[in-house]
Amino acid sequence: MSTQPNGTADAPIEVSSAPTVVGINFGNSYASISVLTKEGSADCIANEDGERQIACAVAFLGEEMYIGNQAKPQLVKNSHNAILGFRNLLGKKFSELSFEKPTASAPVIQHPEQPDVPAYKVQVLQPAPSPIPTTASNTPAASKVATPRSEPTPAERVLSVSEVTSIFLRSLVQSAEDFLGKKVQGAVISVPTWFDDAQRAALTQAAEDAGIHVLQLLEDAGAAAVTTTTGLTPQELSADRTQLVVDLGASSLELSLLAIREGLAFSLATLSDPTVGGNAIDDKLIKFFAKEFTKKTKTPLTVAPATETQDKRAEAKLRLAVEHTKRTLSASPGAATCSVESLKDGLDFTGTITRLRFDMEVRSVYDKVYARVKELVEKAGLDLYDVDEIVYVGGSASLPGLDETFAQGFAETVVTPFTAGTVVGGGVGDPTTIISRGCALQARLVATLAEGTEEEREVKGAFASGSKWTQAKATSKTIGMLFPEENAEGPLGGQWIPTVLRDTVVPARRTSRFDVDLGEGEGEKKVGFEVWEVKEGIKVDKIKPPKFEDEEDAQADEDEEEEEEEIEVKEKTVEKESLLTALSFVVKEAKQVKGRWTTKVEVQSIIDDTGSLEITAWEVGPSGKGEKTVVVVSSA
Amino acid sequence: MASVRELPVVPPPLPASWTTPESSGKSISPLVERRLLPAGTAYLAHVKRAVHKLTFDEHDKHAEEERKRLEAMNGGCVDAEDDLGVGDEPEDEELLSLDPKEWKKQDHYQVLGLSHLRYKATDDQIKIAHRKKVLKHHPDKKAGLAGDSNDDAFFKCIQKAFEVLTNPERRRQFDSVDPYYELLEADVPTEKQLKSARDPQKFFFHAFAPVFEREARFSRKQPVPMLGTYDNSKETVEAFYDFWYNFDSWRSFEYLDKEVNEGSDNRDDKRYTEKKNKSERARRKKEDTARLRSLVDLALAYDPRIKRIKEEEKAAREAKKKNKGGVQNGVSAKQNAEEEKKKAEEEAKRKEEEEKAARAEAKKAKAAAANAAKKARRAARAAEEGATAAQ
Repeated sequence: MSTQPNGTADAPIEVSSAPTVVGINFGNSYASISVLTKEGSADCIANEDGERQIACAVAFLGEEMYIGNQAKPQLVKNSHNAILGFRNLLGKKFSELSFEKPTASAPVIQHPEQPDVPAYKVQVLQPAPSPIPTTASNTPAASKVATPRSEPTPAERVLSVSEVTSIFLRSLVQSAEDFLGKKVQGAVISVPTWFDDAQRAALTQAAEDAGIHVLQLLEDAGAAAVTTTTGLTPQELSADRTQLVVDLGASSLELSLLAIREGLAFSLATLSDPTVGGNAIDDKLIKFFAKEFTKKTKTPLTVAPATETQDKRAEAKLRLAVEHTKRTLSASPGAATCSVESLKDGLDFTGTITRLRFDMEVRSVYDKVYARVKELVEKAGLDLYDVDEIVYVGGSASLPGLDETFAQGFAETVVTPFTAGTVVGGGVGDPTTIISRGCALQARLVATLAEGTEEEREVKGAFASGSKWTQAKATSKTIGMLFPEENAEGPLGGQWIPTVLRDTVVPARRTSRFDVDLGEGEGEKKVGFEVWEVKEGIKVDKIKPPKFEDEEDAQADEDEEEEEEEIEVKEKTVEKESLLTALSFVVKEAKQVKGRWTTKVEVQSIIDDTGSLEITAWEVGPSGKGEKTVVVVSSA
Repeated sequence: MASVRELPVVPPPLPASWTTPESSGKSISPLVERRLLPAGTAYLAHVKRAVHKLTFDEHDKHAEEERKRLEAMNGGCVDAEDDLGVGDEPEDEELLSLDPKEWKKQDHYQVLGLSHLRYKATDDQIKIAHRKKVLKHHPDKKAGLAGDSNDDAFFKCIQKAFEVLTNPERRRQFDSVDPYYELLEADVPTEKQLKSARDPQKFFFHAFAPVFEREARFSRKQPVPMLGTYDNSKETVEAFYDFWYNFDSWRSFEYLDKEVNEGSDNRDDKRYTEKKNKSERARRKKEDTARLRSLVDLALAYDPRIKRIKEEEKAAREAKKKNKGGVQNGVSAKQNAEEEKKKAEEEAKRKEEEEKAARAEAKKAKAAAANAAKKARRAARAAEEGATAAQ
């Protein structure tokens, strides 16, 4: 036999010295965890149950505690011991809570010891104290049979919201640690935009209690922005774009309109509506199936809201079953089934629904979301056509019907995860994992920050909530170059190239490179352009000026990097507002292609934090960068 | 992040009438306050610029340093395993649709992505290439993908190829009939080509060098003398042909054996097939030896060096003849030279002998010295012992 041991106690070779961090999407109804892969991208992982979408639920049954999706079935028979929807109560005082909505889960009570703290009361079985160990002194040599364990005793357990959160977060991180085989050293946890400081502090505290080092609490919209701006930008999108984040979760709708300027994101407007969400969709679906059940079995069943105990139980069963139906519908275009054993009076139920029927049933929810989106965009002073990209977040947003509803109002060029085909198969646009992946990427960013010097600490501090560095100034109008053209049609009188879009945070730098046509003639050649500030608007009537036609032709086969332009062609208008400066220089390294002289030019625009603009232009020839020509527009 | 955007627009030429307008003196519209989302690398870059008060160019430099730091932190450990330069060959449709049942016909090196190395591939390289291929083509990886997820044909091919190439005996058998070289083997210069070549000397070396290089792999004796160049000496050339005429090849043809009909218990059947295989192997081996021999024959017949050497010898003979018939002086000079040479040799021999003797003497002296030292030590010890005893 060989003496070689089977393994060693040493850790396997460290692949990288980068810290082990995870991203946690902590929603009110569902949570998900993402880790970083070897390739440097983030990946949503499944917990021990194989669930990527982990229900935020903790349930007690006897001596057992169920966490996650296992806790959900407890709602049917053991609802008073199941705790759901606890995140939104974090950091709230008991007196602040409203109890208008009836809850199907464990009752929220005032904590018996701590003043004004909400808590949950659950019935549990406490394991009975084990029999006294027998020793020589206390045992009068009795029978050899072990003393039977006494029955566990029923007891009441009071858990504060913070304790429940700790238990839940701990289980999430435990799953991640089991997956990674390493201890998790830090996590970024997502929070909704409307979380106030007290709530954020409560969440941080709960996480620290669970032994998790919180690197940052990141707003949902921020996490979505990180995911969409990390990695390669799709060809159809520009690095400067307006992004609409539609977060349709189970319990609420959160909308954010973000301005993303070379990865730097800020919110133009936000809106949240707790009346729209996956639960509303569930209600519609449950009603639909209940009606069908009544039709089939002649058994009356009133649900959503149910009044009788039996109906309530039936509703809970249906609610669990339609979850599966919804997922099937999102994943495949065919019909989806919903089957419940012993729905009511011992009668089983099996029903099917097609996507078309489903969309019809929940049309009102879609329309409500669409109306909210319109409201939001108007609030930001923009038009639906200004939106370049839609990002969906949350399980309910995976429904293709929602995207189809949206398609009517937005520009045709708008990029959604459905048009980009990144929803299925865990692509970048997968709405259910996008936030946790963003959190994981952010966690890596924050975790790798150095903390050596005062300045570096300052930089790290900028990621804390309410940091002063988040305050920034942004431009209010688009600035661009206008290349005058002979006999140009249209009001601009030349070729318009926007460089710094409105709502660009300063200091900002944009560099663009392009070919310039220099005509046919010999002799000295010059490149020149004017720098204008423009007013952008949306022309609602659809008469296109002929000039735009030409432009469209010229740009038809472009990779549409200038998203704004493309839309502008169809609906947007650009009006010259003020001439800032002009610039021209002599070209030295032009080359002749098919009789026409062209050259490559790079133009760099820098706006500093006071608002002064510096335009630098140079020629890029075979011999490298040419001489730079600089003009400066000082700030007001 | 000095990202430059490539714009696909081509602005038109300037109108002749256009002159650079005067600066209007206006500045950009007033800035508005915004609250950034503290997220993403761009935000980090923004904050860094603000905190360290960097300009964009300075920040670019800074970012580059930071990138290097992070790279160092990950310490190249990410790809610590050296892949020995294998496993990155493209796979075409034809390769992927191989039938594992026809494994005898497949090119094992190509299946493992080693077609650029072939018989030169080391065991480590084969191992790594196999691991890489398995990672890519394991049926578990294909589960859940569209299409036939049970399609593990290529995986079986990979396993078969690995099986063959890791067994030295079987690998040697496969190398003997490597289909890649099979094609090249036919590509030897013909007599006609050699005759009609424009520059026969150049053509000879150009055409034969790769042929001999290829054949060299079959030699049991290594290294194998290669064709060499035109300027090789007579000895080298002769050694070359000597080696190749007595070529000891390990090439064998078991790989092409016909399988004994499986399931047949008939001993006669088996023996018959075996016998046939054996004779077939012998025939092939004979053919191969003959092929090589004819190849060497061809090379010898057209070797420009042989021609050169013959000419040189002829020239030398003629020169000798000339010298004989010419002045006596030459002969005496030659004799003188020979004598001198002999003398010098003798001198050298003597010197060597002397040296040898000197060395032997030195050795003897050394041994004697050592002996003396030993004796002295012994005496001293005895004296010491005596002293202690006396005390």
